[in-house]
Amino acid sequence: MAEFNTSVKDQGEISIVNLKGFLDAHTASILENTLSNQIEKNKYKIVVNFSNLTYISSAGLGVFMAFIEKVRENGGDIKLSSMSDKVFNIFDLLGFPLLYEIFNSEEEAVKKFTE
Amino acid sequence: MQLNLQKMFKNLRLQAFLGIAGILLLFKLFIPVNDSVVLMAISDVLVLLTLASLILFFFESISSKNINPLSLVMNVGILNVVLFCLITFSGSIFNLFFDNITERFQNPGLLLSLATFIYIFIILACISYIFLAFKELYFLKQKRNVSVYFNTMVMFIALASFSNVFLKYEELNFVKSTFLIISIILIIINSLKISWIAFIVKKDKISLLILSVVISTLFVVNLSNSQDAGVHGEMLLSFSPLLTKFMQIMMIYGAIYFSILFFTTLFHLPTAEAFDRKAQEVSSLQYFSKLITEVLDFNDLAETVTDIATKVCNAHASWIVLQEGTEMRTLANKNIGFIDADIINEYVFKSGKTEKKFNTFFMTVKKYGDTEKLSENYSSIAIAPLIAHNELKGFLLAAKINDFIFDEEDKNALDTFSDYASVAIENSRLLEESIEKERLEKELDVAREIQRKILPSKSPAIDNLSIASVFIPAFEVGGDYYDFFELGNNKLGFVIADVSGKGIQAAFVMAEIKGIFESLTKMIESPKEILIKANDILKRALERKTFVSAAYGIIDSKKKVLKIARAGHCPIILLRNGKVKNLRPSGIGLGLCFTSRFAETMEEIEIKLQDDDAIVLYTDGITEAKNKKMEDFGDNLFEQALLECVQETSEGIANKVMREITDFTKNNSQHDDITLVILKWNEKFKSNGEQEWQNSTPQLKTRVKSV
Repeated sequence: MAEFNTSVKDQGEISIVNLKGFLDAHTASILENTLSNQIEKNKYKIVVNFSNLTYISSAGLGVFMAFIEKVRENGGDIKLSSMSDKVFNIFDLLGFPLLYEIFNSEEEAVKKFTE
Repeated sequence: MQLNLQKMFKNLRLQAFLGIAGILLLFKLFIPVNDSVVLMAISDVLVLLTLASLILFFFESISSKNINPLSLVMNVGILNVVLFCLITFSGSIFNLFFDNITERFQNPGLLLSLATFIYIFIILACISYIFLAFKELYFLKQKRNVSVYFNTMVMFIALASFSNVFLKYEELNFVKSTFLIISIILIIINSLKISWIAFIVKKDKISLLILSVVISTLFVVNLSNSQDAGVHGEMLLSFSPLLTKFMQIMMIYGAIYFSILFFTTLFHLPTAEAFDRKAQEVSSLQYFSKLITEVLDFNDLAETVTDIATKVCNAHASWIVLQEGTEMRTLANKNIGFIDADIINEYVFKSGKTEKKFNTFFMTVKKYGDTEKLSENYSSIAIAPLIAHNELKGFLLAAKINDFIFDEEDKNALDTFSDYASVAIENSRLLEESIEKERLEKELDVAREIQRKILPSKSPAIDNLSIASVFIPAFEVGGDYYDFFELGNNKLGFVIADVSGKGIQAAFVMAEIKGIFESLTKMIESPKEILIKANDILKRALERKTFVSAAYGIIDSKKKVLKIARAGHCPIILLRNGKVKNLRPSGIGLGLCFTSRFAETMEEIEIKLQDDDAIVLYTDGITEAKNKKMEDFGDNLFEQALLECVQETSEGIANKVMREITDFTKNNSQHDDITLVILKWNEKFKSNGEQEWQNSTPQLKTRVKSV
């Protein structure tokens, strides 16, 4: 069925996670693994790029909640970037912009970390 | 019954043997030495009978067991050592107790006679066992019935032995020699028929090679020793010439048989490995059928597969790597640890060879840098792809240690075996999947039942307000929840919520949410305060990645006022004057944030109700309903549908929207729960009491009900 995968790119101490495809209850575990891998490697500065993500369900949103506390406790953050309007709307409805920094582009998100 | 009979026969043999031995003893005690040929013949007939009965008695105990040729050979060897000791030390032992032993044989006392008798009997027992061992070895693995050859030989051996009784008649010497020569010829011929050697594994063949040299040497030594005119020779000859000859012939037989055995084994040695493999393959074929019966338990099956794999290709270790999604899972390690297996896996899969090959192939570990990390000296690996239904399911790996390598025959064996194994593994997996599916379906039934009981079965009757609600559960229960609370004083509370995730877990959270709202609405009136409080309570109850979007509202029908607050839920739609208005007060989803930020960002809005206003509550199951092309129904189509029926009753609006969604999602399955609640404010509307309505009826068309 719907495919989903992630790829991680290291830019200094920042990890940039690219999402592709459908993120729902069935594929959420893939993203969960990717994020927990970063945390295991003590990489707490994470930028998630949504430009190739076509769909996200509520279970997909939950993944970010699972890690944010741990990341912030360790002085890092998860910043979100490059969402399509549709994806942003879902984040927006749930009030994510009040909890996460969401940027138009990956560069802006990275820049925010380096400031 | 049969057992008793057997026991009786055994007793009979024992009795016969003891009886004859007793007679022989008496005979020897009363007539110790004599020159009369007749008496000598009678004595030897008795010896012959004793021998025969003893052989019969031993035969019982040997043939009842499953004979292992190697242990028979071993026994013969041990008895030979015993004989050797007896022959060598008999002189000194007898000399110790009796003076002038050689002279006293002419006139022995009772004591010496008895000692002689015991000594002879030990020898008799040894020889009869050796004879029996020869017989067993001769008949072992013989394909034709060859008893006639053996019986002829035995007959001539008996004749040759018996003719020795007539020792004194020089003119009969030619008869003795003839019998002896014929016996020896027959022994040689019969010794050539060693067919059991081929069925012995290589390791045993090597030990057999050494044993046969030692034993044949022992036979030759014993033969020459017993010929000497020492105490043993004198004693035996005076006791029974027959036994003397018989022992001599047995020693000759042994020397010949084991010499021939030595050479036969030597010639079989080069082909031993090939024979071992063939035998192994045959037994592996039997294992294959075992694979079929073990599909019921996947883990058992995997263990069996690796077990057989090591056998078919003589490998030291074997394990399976299964493709599971994007991951590889190692399982059923046989003779290898997970760490070693993972190191080798990495090497194998990084080489890229696994992507091109569809047959078994080999790799050498030595070429890999990290061999020192391995706990064993693995030298060569064989990798067999497991392919079922034209799809690569994983790999069967086998490894050899200590510089052993895989050859072409190993490849063929593994190829054949992996074909069987992959089919068995695939079948087992499918079976497991269908069991798992059934379990999930049961679980979903439970979840649906919970959901059905949680959702309101009737809607409140309030003047000026007509309420319609539609709920369509998805196959995988979503976490949709809506409810109404009659709060008295003409006030009605309503809630709509959507738990993230699906299935039984979502259903349980839903039940929890219902409990929270049930109690909170009794204590607090403000929608904003209720949501803040609900979030506080959920802090203790929710898993970190689960959250709930909700909207809570309250209608005061006396003051004609609507108050709503939203916690991450879809906007509440207000249909007024033929227009769609999205009410979207700010608010974070329940369970997403447990700091003061939640309360700070929560808004509550108040709206003065006008006649014919309709309030539309929904979950994302509506806007995300998908057609065949996986396109969403979306906000636009939803608003269009609503606009086309602004004048209708609440029931009319709900029906219209559901019709549109049904048309849109035609031929596609429903992925999420769909909930739609319409509250229509109509000042002329009079409630006619409470009405029951059903939800979660299976057919979409009949699901739309209203009050």
